[in-house]
Amino acid sequence: MKNKDSYGKKTKTRLLWIIVFLVIWETIAQSRTFPEAIFPSLPVIAKALGDSVVSGEILLQTGWSLALILQGLLVGLAAAVLLSSLAVRSRIFDGLVDTLTAIAHPLPGIALLPLIIIWFGTGTLAILVIIVHSVIWPMILNITTGFRAIPPIYKETGLNLGLNQVRIIKDIMIPASLPYVLSGIRIGWARAWRALISAEMIFGAVGLKGGLGWYIFKQRVFMDTPGIFAGLFVIVLIGIVVEDCVFAAFEERTVKKWGMI
Amino acid sequence: MRLKIIAGILLAAFFGLTLAGCQTEGKAQAKKPEIRIAEQYGLAYAPLQIIKEKKLIEKNLPQIEVTWRQLGNTTAIREAMLAGELDVGFMAIPPFLIGWDKGMDWKIACGLSSTPVGLVANKDDIQSIKDFTPKDKIALPQPGSVQHILLSMACEKLWGDPKRLDNLLVTLDHPDGMNALLARREVSAHFTTPPYLFKELENPGMHQILDGREAMGEDFTFVVGVATAKFYQDQPEVYHALLKAIEEALSFMEKNPAETRRILADAYQIDENELQKYLDHPDTDYSMEVKGVMKFADFMQKNRYINRKPANLEEVLWK
Amino acid sequence: MGNDLRNKADNFRDKTVMISLQSVSKSFPRSQETLPVLNHISLDIYQGEILAVLGPSGCGKTTLLRQIAGFDKQDSGSVRMDGQEVVKPEVKRMMIFQDFNQLFPWKTVLQNVLFPLQVNRIGESDAANREIALQYLQLVELSGFEDSYPHQLSGGMKQKAAMARALALQPKVLLMDEPFGSLDALTRLSLQDLLLKIWQETGVTIALVTHDIQEAINLSDRIAVMGRRGVAGFKEIIPNLLDRPRVVGGGGYSEIYAQVYSLMDFRNENE
Ligand SMILES: Nc1ncnc2c1ncn2[C@@H]1O[C@H](COP(=O)(O)OP(=O)(O)O)[C@@H](O)[C@H]1O
Ligand SMILES: [Mg+2]
Repeated sequence: MKNKDSYGKKTKTRLLWIIVFLVIWETIAQSRTFPEAIFPSLPVIAKALGDSVVSGEILLQTGWSLALILQGLLVGLAAAVLLSSLAVRSRIFDGLVDTLTAIAHPLPGIALLPLIIIWFGTGTLAILVIIVHSVIWPMILNITTGFRAIPPIYKETGLNLGLNQVRIIKDIMIPASLPYVLSGIRIGWARAWRALISAEMIFGAVGLKGGLGWYIFKQRVFMDTPGIFAGLFVIVLIGIVVEDCVFAAFEERTVKKWGMI
Repeated sequence: MRLKIIAGILLAAFFGLTLAGCQTEGKAQAKKPEIRIAEQYGLAYAPLQIIKEKKLIEKNLPQIEVTWRQLGNTTAIREAMLAGELDVGFMAIPPFLIGWDKGMDWKIACGLSSTPVGLVANKDDIQSIKDFTPKDKIALPQPGSVQHILLSMACEKLWGDPKRLDNLLVTLDHPDGMNALLARREVSAHFTTPPYLFKELENPGMHQILDGREAMGEDFTFVVGVATAKFYQDQPEVYHALLKAIEEALSFMEKNPAETRRILADAYQIDENELQKYLDHPDTDYSMEVKGVMKFADFMQKNRYINRKPANLEEVLWK
Repeated sequence: MGNDLRNKADNFRDKTVMISLQSVSKSFPRSQETLPVLNHISLDIYQGEILAVLGPSGCGKTTLLRQIAGFDKQDSGSVRMDGQEVVKPEVKRMMIFQDFNQLFPWKTVLQNVLFPLQVNRIGESDAANREIALQYLQLVELSGFEDSYPHQLSGGMKQKAAMARALALQPKVLLMDEPFGSLDALTRLSLQDLLLKIWQETGVTIALVTHDIQEAINLSDRIAVMGRRGVAGFKEIIPNLLDRPRVVGGGGYSEIYAQVYSLMDFRNENE
């Protein structure tokens, strides 16, 4: 109850500030201090957004980006769970995973781009590699921490109840470390989303599918500034929806409901 | 609540004014003669290296302050010029036309060069653009670039559909494009200019399947110098000093081939033989004449890359 | 169900040995030396009995129970169940911990009981498993809380749920490590009654670790008293033949209490 109230309040203040921000924006735009190609007014941006929604292009590109990031997240999550499970079980693997993470975690995906182009080309595979690289290391860090924080009693109970190793991981370790796994996915999502947009802005298909980053880049090369803002708006919107709706709702239905956080 | 809204509006007004203030301040400053020029990397920009090396602008206007900026792509140059950070930019005609179409207050000052431009393929079974399959990818700098427009022209000529190959295009800058082509993964062709063009063709199995003249159907200027209206109007003496310097650079190149070679070999870090090959290439030509604008404009407008086109060349040329 | 038999359980030699410990030793590595905890312990657990293991805190009761369960490997000696060496935890020996956390917080009470039934394919169908789970929840008097999550339950209810989950798998023996140790006195008494009722209805063998003398006397058929850690092993195993139900101050109660009390090393328990 209390929680909901404060949530409502947060939304309210946020809305207020968005309105303030839009008013500032429009005031500057209407003052004609800057050319429209630098500072387009809100109706112009809204129209650009509306047009690209009607033509279906921005939806198509957004869908494309979301599909890619979902694939990347799933692959990254699966690989992270596998490596983390090995790491908490074996010293040697722990050393390996730890070393890999130490080396790869600080490397921004974009810095690897020249290598990725040579090794994986410029297609979906290359973008997937960048996404997986962005998500897997923070996920491993979170998941191994989560696995190590699991009270041994859960595993022992699981063994006593007749679970095999696979089930111990799937049915005990993952749910027991879900708060950590979730925060790993959150960080992974944020990093992957940024990496995806940046990568798409660097190479994309000129024709149909290039994703949201590509959409923005295309507006840029054809000097369609309102179109750029339309693309940015969609990026922000997706960020907020995923963070506040998808993750928050998932948390509400799982770890919060289970009294784990 | 209401207080906050009022505060917000005040804040808005405040920001608006400060930003406006910044802008006018910038205007008031431009007194002592200066010129800020953007170029890109490539042999097509060679006369600019001569101007730099021989300080030809300074020779014509001693008190001038010259700033050179090398930017990665035309879009960045255009944006910097739009933001008022640059006075002159060197670029290909199609990106210039896109800016002009969107209302940028700029025109062409002069031509600079024509250069070989070619589509290089790395597979034996690709001998012309007809041979691309949906599995192939063609790398080029960016949509709306001269390479993209040339390819579209070739497609239109062949199939009547300029966008026929658009689904195969992938945007990569020249070095990444070359790496991708040589890696022989899914990029099977690269539309590029020297030195990348020559470097690629040196590798076994690489062959050119289309060149610029073939696509365009006539000669055209590859790089033009574009100046903002503000620069042209506020600093006519600097503008003319620049044109003079380019003229002198071109005649220097003609009269002093040996020194030219040395300067350029140094600036581009390639050996002199290689360079000579480029300079001798039939498609290489340094000249201030501007060719091909109207043909590009017709094609681009017809195919909706731009919404309007100049009535004649003079409309987009400073005089 | 076997009540009569148990009440005249005067002769343990007639009983079948279910679990047998032979000279089990276990020590733990400490910074420099090793810490001996179990020192050549031998013990038989009879089918159907309640055996109380009583001793001061730190004497090795948990360690002993974990060897029996198969969680840890003894350094020497053997633990056998029905003649077979115990090497790993198994469903036929269910451990119940003192820790309320033994329920999985991400499952409801019903799911906690149902899940191991499904994993071990106890019932013929999901519906059958569900039937079994509900039946055991009823046995531990948790009907009505099937859909609650563990964090919504009191400590006593959590221990009941843990018992239901263990019993539903029909283990041969329950290994209980101070299961009621963290409960308030009243709840503890009611859970002791519940445990007796369950024992009578199911006939399951129970090894119950406790440091509460009254609990040991109230519940058990035999009381194994451990001495201080690593020293003596079992001091003595006292048969507890009092009539059930047992009440404090009933016939023979104070005698057995005094006997047990005198065996307990209260001092130096933290050495
Ligand atoms: N895993 C372990 N590692 C090291 N020492 C342990 C471990 N488990 C128990 N001990 C030590 O063994 C002794 C007996 O412990 P425990 O069996 O838990 O006693 P009790 O259950 O009778 O209180 C204690 O001194 C304890 O510190
Ligand atoms: Mg203990």
